[in-house]
Amino acid sequence: MATYDFVFDGLGLRDWCGDAGGGGLSSMADLLSETSGEEATVSAWDTPFPSLDALHEACDKIPQSRELTLGLERGFLDIKDTLKIVVDPITQPLSWALENTLWLMQATPWWIMIPALMLIVYLVGRSFKLVGLVAAAFGFLAFVDYYDYTMQTLAIIFVCAVICVIIGVPVGIAMSRSDKVQRVMIPILDMLQTLPPFVYLIPLIFLFSVTEPKLYGIAIILYAMVPVIRLTDLGIRLVDKDVIEAADAFGMTKRQKLYGVQIPLALPNIMAGVNQTIMMSLAMVVIASLVSAPGLGVLVLRGIRNLELGVGLLSGLGIVLLAIILDRVTKAALARINASQPR
Amino acid sequence: MKDVQSENDIKISIRHLYKIFGARPQEALEQVKNGMGKTELQEKHGHVLGLNDINVDVPSGKTTVIMGLSGSGKSTLIRHLNRLIEPTAGEVWVDGENILEYNDKQLRKLRKVQMSMVFQKFALFPHRTVLQNAGLAPSVEGERERKYADEARKWLDRVGLEGQGDQYPHQLSGGMQQRVGIARALTSNSDIMLMDEAFSALDPLIRTDMQNLLIELQNELQKTVVFITHDLDEALKLADHLVILKDGFVVQQGEPQHILLNPADPYIEDFVSDINRARVLRVRSVMERTTKPLAETAGDIDHDDTLESVIALSEGDTTLSYRVIKDGAPVGLLNMRKLVRALVPSEQSDDPDSARRSG
Repeated sequence: MATYDFVFDGLGLRDWCGDAGGGGLSSMADLLSETSGEEATVSAWDTPFPSLDALHEACDKIPQSRELTLGLERGFLDIKDTLKIVVDPITQPLSWALENTLWLMQATPWWIMIPALMLIVYLVGRSFKLVGLVAAAFGFLAFVDYYDYTMQTLAIIFVCAVICVIIGVPVGIAMSRSDKVQRVMIPILDMLQTLPPFVYLIPLIFLFSVTEPKLYGIAIILYAMVPVIRLTDLGIRLVDKDVIEAADAFGMTKRQKLYGVQIPLALPNIMAGVNQTIMMSLAMVVIASLVSAPGLGVLVLRGIRNLELGVGLLSGLGIVLLAIILDRVTKAALARINASQPR
Repeated sequence: MKDVQSENDIKISIRHLYKIFGARPQEALEQVKNGMGKTELQEKHGHVLGLNDINVDVPSGKTTVIMGLSGSGKSTLIRHLNRLIEPTAGEVWVDGENILEYNDKQLRKLRKVQMSMVFQKFALFPHRTVLQNAGLAPSVEGERERKYADEARKWLDRVGLEGQGDQYPHQLSGGMQQRVGIARALTSNSDIMLMDEAFSALDPLIRTDMQNLLIELQNELQKTVVFITHDLDEALKLADHLVILKDGFVVQQGEPQHILLNPADPYIEDFVSDINRARVLRVRSVMERTTKPLAETAGDIDHDDTLESVIALSEGDTTLSYRVIKDGAPVGLLNMRKLVRALVPSEQSDDPDSARRSG
């Protein structure tokens, strides 16, 4: 009957399995062979891998693979309520931050907002060329009536990047100080970085309602936090050992060393991490529009769903413009830090 | 300082100091104490013997030079004095206190107040100005820049960096950076200065400048300096007390002139054979001690003159004799023949082995 009957027969597990083959039809192959009225003969060439499904055919007690995924889902649903009790209050401030920033950036009239952004860019980059680029980009996006979407995207990136830095830098410092912490964290960071972005969204949808901004906030933060952690760790580990020795020799405390020597000297690397984090949150904010994140991503999604080519292209261009601005501004800040302390 | 003076002028004293690098240093320590050597320990146990039963007394207000080739453990030894490296066994006494019993707070105080350090690679803070670097010690104490600026500027001026306070270290040359390093150590006002190959990274002319600067400062300030070097010329120039390390143990220590004239073993003979003895040896080390007034002297020389200057004075005439003066009073007689004999390393004439060694 089934390919792996002999395993259970040979091991004397037939009784444990119950009535072999007498159960309901379980696979497509069975159904097909039933309808065609002939016994499915399997050549040696086509021997299936002893997978859950293949073994199930031989023995009912072995679960099918779909039962495994179902089990995972049920398991998650079972702990969901307990998890929510813990996670909900912790992440609530994220929702508030996102809601308020979204409200603030949209409520501020454009003739205050755009000059304010230009001023910030000037303070960070000290370059009129950069300010001109920002003015042109926002002017263009506002001209094609994407101003609100752009501000929403910007607000989300702003909140998420700030939180990434607030959490990421201390984690990076902890990693740089202890090899044990680093050994534990690196696989986690690797996983966060390689997990497809869509996969983050699935458990989050189960945990939170789609109306809550923290749903996409958490997804963005988890995805975008990795570079700032990695580069903080790297930056502090790369600080010249001789300089650290000098700090020790003059009796600095651990705290003085951290704030007076290690962080200032690691700052170029940390800022490179912040730049990456901002770029990654921009990438994720587009994907997060699948779970109700507002902004330019919604337009991209509309372009795909309704096959509105023009909308898709124009919003895509908007995202590119936003990416260029964010990248240039953070790089300008990085260059200024580098210029102030060359080695 | 005063009570230290009464303790035979010893500032730092190192007793039975051992350092073994490896996974189980205590087990290896037993082997070493039972007489196992460095190579054997490395081969049989995979442990590296860094320091082997070091006993050194560092005199107060003098320059003690610890000399050895690379791998002799000299940098390891100096880092035990402020516990940048923890020993495997032994004691380090500073001003009558065993610093190995210090807790973190006492240790930080020792490093802030009693000791300062100058590094081979300068180790300045690249993100701070020269003035802020020089004022590191007071800034660690929590003082504001405005408060320590005068003191830091005073020492920067003293080491020859007038008006460079607002520069960043990378804008200075290597020699100037090390001057900042020295100013940083001086601003801390500590009695003890640890100098770890402080001039080794500089080119020869600048190194000579820096050595002269250190000698000048030392005449002025009389700090207790522990100076590490692999350069015998430098060691002989600076040292009041010379300690020679080899493979982690002290081969010979004492007054440099004495070591030069009486090398304890072939290793040191090898070392001293390449030295320009006329420049290093002083009149006091080779003269005959006598207070008898002598009639036929060609003139007076100071007891601290180098033999080189005496040869120049005599214009190469080996028949002359000179009266040696110390603090205005005659203390001895120097015969030029004796001087010339002292220029040849001892035992070389009747020991073919050492003659070969000296090339």
